[in-house]
Amino acid sequence: MEAQPDLSQLVKDCSPIVRFGLLDDWLALARANSLWPLTFGLACCAIEMMAAGASRFDLARFGAEVFRPSPRQADVMIVAGTINKKMAGAVKTLYDQMPEPKWVIAMGNCAISGGPFVFPGQYAVVEGVDKLFPVDVFIPGCPPRPEALIEGILKLEEKLTGKRRWPIVKPE
Amino acid sequence: MRVVNEKDPNPKMKDNGAPATPAPGAPAPEPRPNPLAHLPLPFQAVDYNLKGYHLEAAVQPGQVAVAAGYLDSEGFSLDTITGVDWLAQGQMEVVYDYFHPTRGLRSVVRARIPRENPEIPTISQVFPGANWHERETHDFFGIRFLGHPDLSPFLLPEDATFHPLRKDFSA
Amino acid sequence: MIVSEPISRSVAGSAPNETFVLNLGPQHPATHGVLRVKMTMDGEYVVRAEPVCGYIHRMQEKMGENRTYAQYLPNTSRIDYLSAMNYTHGLVGVVERAARIQVPPRAEYIRVITSELNRISSHLVWWGAFLLDLGGFTPLLYAFDDREMILDLLEGITGARLTYCYYRFGGLYNDVDETFLKGARRFVAHMRPRLKMYRALVTENVILRKRLIGIGPISAEMCRKYGATGPVIRGSGVSYDVRRAEPYSVYPELDFDIPAYPEGDSMARYLVRMDEMAQSLRIIEQALDKLPGGPVMAEKVPRVLKLPAGDYCYAVEAARGRFMVRVVSDNKEIAYRLKLRTPCLSNLSLFEEASQGMLLADALALLGSLDLVIPDIDR
Repeated sequence: MEAQPDLSQLVKDCSPIVRFGLLDDWLALARANSLWPLTFGLACCAIEMMAAGASRFDLARFGAEVFRPSPRQADVMIVAGTINKKMAGAVKTLYDQMPEPKWVIAMGNCAISGGPFVFPGQYAVVEGVDKLFPVDVFIPGCPPRPEALIEGILKLEEKLTGKRRWPIVKPE
Repeated sequence: MRVVNEKDPNPKMKDNGAPATPAPGAPAPEPRPNPLAHLPLPFQAVDYNLKGYHLEAAVQPGQVAVAAGYLDSEGFSLDTITGVDWLAQGQMEVVYDYFHPTRGLRSVVRARIPRENPEIPTISQVFPGANWHERETHDFFGIRFLGHPDLSPFLLPEDATFHPLRKDFSA
Repeated sequence: MIVSEPISRSVAGSAPNETFVLNLGPQHPATHGVLRVKMTMDGEYVVRAEPVCGYIHRMQEKMGENRTYAQYLPNTSRIDYLSAMNYTHGLVGVVERAARIQVPPRAEYIRVITSELNRISSHLVWWGAFLLDLGGFTPLLYAFDDREMILDLLEGITGARLTYCYYRFGGLYNDVDETFLKGARRFVAHMRPRLKMYRALVTENVILRKRLIGIGPISAEMCRKYGATGPVIRGSGVSYDVRRAEPYSVYPELDFDIPAYPEGDSMARYLVRMDEMAQSLRIIEQALDKLPGGPVMAEKVPRVLKLPAGDYCYAVEAARGRFMVRVVSDNKEIAYRLKLRTPCLSNLSLFEEASQGMLLADALALLGSLDLVIPDIDR
């Protein structure tokens, strides 16, 4: 009689061309490498977000240069700018319109905590977008450099897949 | 050119910003030209290098539209309209800034209104650009511009009832 | 069955229930920020376009009454962040005027160089974003590439890429070094052929010309009634520029032209801004040649600045038009009232009248040619 093929040996032999893994892990890898941001530039940070999408800093390397104007087609909402009390309702509506799974990156000091516009007696600024809905990554700066935005996206990818794409370069 | 006095970098000024009286015996300074002297409005020339405008007039609240009409016929353009809340004096001041696109002149028209019932006629029929400036001044100070087509909130939320730039405002 | 009717009949004679309201924004790729425009449409034609502002109102004027003049300096960069140096110039100018502080000539020349570099970078962002609205994606990448050169220069002296806080009352806080001066000359040499390339690639492109020539006419009289300034009024034939009308800093000693085109359509405003970039290069070159030595900060500027009582104004020509700061002081370190006269508010206020009866796509081309930055309107 033929010996039954040894499955574990089969897996080892095929590993250069066939990989096995949990479906969740594969989906997370696919989602992390093609995050589609929503064009939600409100103020100054929007310009650094556009610079990150331009050719010098190039978000296309990470699969994230396809900014979608419609929330129905977006994965991640990069809140770049100050949230106003007048605008808060619209922001919440946009968040609700995004389909699951969705993530939020709060870019800049205004989105984290109201930024430089918080003073005693302030009447118009919502102190941080996490007062409206949960945030996954906070990127401080006023405005943060495009490299900081890219680091924030890498952190989000690490949150999705559990592994960092590139190691952090430590200065010598 | 402005000169800074090394001994006193912050020279004390009179309240209206007029320069200190010249030393006795010195010749009187030349009177400044007043290109709007022919208008029936109390325009006075001021020191442009200090104040940043050439002419100013303090008028009664009922006269602001007439003043706007005269300045419109002289070819001025509306720069901005704003308010100042003089809490201690119980008044609000409405300041109209105008600039001339070809003659390089700047003029200012002021009017003071009582603080408890701040009302002043609109000038939006003379300068349509005043529409938004008056809405903003109403948002911030609560000044009602009589005859304005639509005094709804401009920068504040649509249902706002507060006027944040008043000196007795607290959030 | 669709019957095509002449334009005038269809717009003027349609019953009220044949129009619908289209809400543009506040989140929209073509509004350059959070502007909402309530458009009453008759098919593709705009019956009434009513801008709704206030979605990025950040209380800049209220903060002027809560911060000392020095503490307010960072706020000025964030009013119009694309043209931040010019806005800081407005605040330092009004304080220096009122407190009679004399600025050393080297500082004035460096202020002019940095302001003009900022004007070029602002116009580059406008150009890229405007063409993105009209449907061309490539110029945005070229514009941001050139802009990165300017940002590297300014980052070397100020430390910031976008919201600089470089000017101080009495001069600057940091002198420029050889890297900056050499880099500025290199940038001028690099940018001139690029502008020629942009002319051939974009300005003379037949699609752009069809979309802009004759679209959105604004007369000089409309500009005057609404207080529009900057490229909007210069694109209607009136060569009003604060640098010539109310000269400040060392602009009287520099030789440059004020481009103005009489047609008043979107193409005229486009050409004004492209020519302004070339004129800014001229100004930078002359200022680099004439740059004197010496200190960059006035001596004996008090640490705690109190302006004498009264009101003072200072106007500058920002990238979008006339920016003026009006300070009412009561002899304290904090202003009693700080008013910011911003160009985009006056420029946008004529949109409602100018866009009546236009096609929707043309109305957006007009909106783009006005070059708006919404935090400038809402402050």
